[in-house]
Amino acid sequence: MTQASLATPAALNLVRLLGRLAIGAIRPVGALALFALRGVSALFSPPWFPRQLLRQVSSIGFFSLPVVGLTAAFTGAALALNIYSGGGRFNAEQVMPQIVALGITRELGPVLAALMLAGRVSAAIAAEIGAMRTTEQIDALRTLSTDPFRYLIAPRLAAAVMTLPLLTVVADTIGVAGGWLIGVRLLHFNPTAYIRSTADFLQPWDVGSGLIKSAVFGFIVALMGCHHGYNASGGAHGVGRAATQAVVSSAILIFAADYLLTTLFSHP
Amino acid sequence: MREQWTEIGMGLVVLILAAAFLIYSLSVGDFGSKPGGYDVIARFGQVGALAPGAPVSIAGVKVGTVSRITLDPKTYFAVARLSLDPSVKLPADSTAKVTSDSLLGGAHVAIAPGAAIDNLKAGGEIENTQGAVDLFGLIGQFIRPQAPAPPAAAATSPAPAPPTTY
Repeated sequence: MTQASLATPAALNLVRLLGRLAIGAIRPVGALALFALRGVSALFSPPWFPRQLLRQVSSIGFFSLPVVGLTAAFTGAALALNIYSGGGRFNAEQVMPQIVALGITRELGPVLAALMLAGRVSAAIAAEIGAMRTTEQIDALRTLSTDPFRYLIAPRLAAAVMTLPLLTVVADTIGVAGGWLIGVRLLHFNPTAYIRSTADFLQPWDVGSGLIKSAVFGFIVALMGCHHGYNASGGAHGVGRAATQAVVSSAILIFAADYLLTTLFSHP
Repeated sequence: MREQWTEIGMGLVVLILAAAFLIYSLSVGDFGSKPGGYDVIARFGQVGALAPGAPVSIAGVKVGTVSRITLDPKTYFAVARLSLDPSVKLPADSTAKVTSDSLLGGAHVAIAPGAAIDNLKAGGEIENTQGAVDLFGLIGQFIRPQAPAPPAAAATSPAPAPPTTY
């Protein structure tokens, strides 16, 4: 084997290429893990910056309410219509409230809230921190002996992990309300019966598993924004690229984590 | 700054809408109405699609839920534990019956109250029961009536293959 590769430089180059590709694929994962580790460990030791945390909670959490609520309402309404017409094919229109509630609480509420946050917050974080990086403000922070991980990154991580579950509660409620509105106004469900069948059907774990998911998604969104912003380079262009990468990578990771967590949760 | 105020207003509107719907559903959906139910048990020869959490009803009104289903290892009967609303007193000779919700599956326990003077106590047993009807067993019997009449427990054997000729 070694003789063969020594004898043919082409094969050696192939092995080299393979190794380079593998290392190139593994290295970002390690860098990201180290980054996450530093960010999380900065959370658990003083000095803390409570004002920063409060600011991030309001900008990540509160100001995302309109967009999350709107998305959830329309999704719940569309889901209700689709399940009603689909269920009609085998005379199961009457289980629509239950399916809508299950779909919203277990899957769509957390994922849509997280995706909206990925678009709104992850990009903003990446752009903000990226601009600070390219204008050397992060280095300035360090010369003032302020750890950028404590001052910039830890508050954002904590704020996203805390607020996304709360946003998901709002999204769940408004999503079910959207389905309820369509069910009552358009499909002639009894408003009280709709709520009752939803309430009887939903288990606490349906909502709880969604909230656990959303906490993980919140971590992903903030981490991707911070990571890409922190490692941005090359001026305005680099900031734009960082924002794009933050949104794309957090969206992909949200879906992947969603599948993994769902498989984990669906084995009671 | 003005833009921020409109955003704050929108956020508050969303929060208020969500809270209003939540309060409405909490007031309409009967939560917490059965904190202290009492348990009775019922033995069935066949529970079919009955599962824990299934409703227990009298005259179509939900009065409790099936809390757990176990197998009696001696008699091979299914023992269903029913958690009932404390305001509902059942005569001791009531009948419990496993009924299907619809053709699509799902089952609940329907109780027909008896006429005895004394009521069932917590932990008591409903003696008169009727298990789930095995729909496919019945259909099988109907399709092949000449076959040796399968026992009622034919539910355990696979459904008979449809005949090729009639």
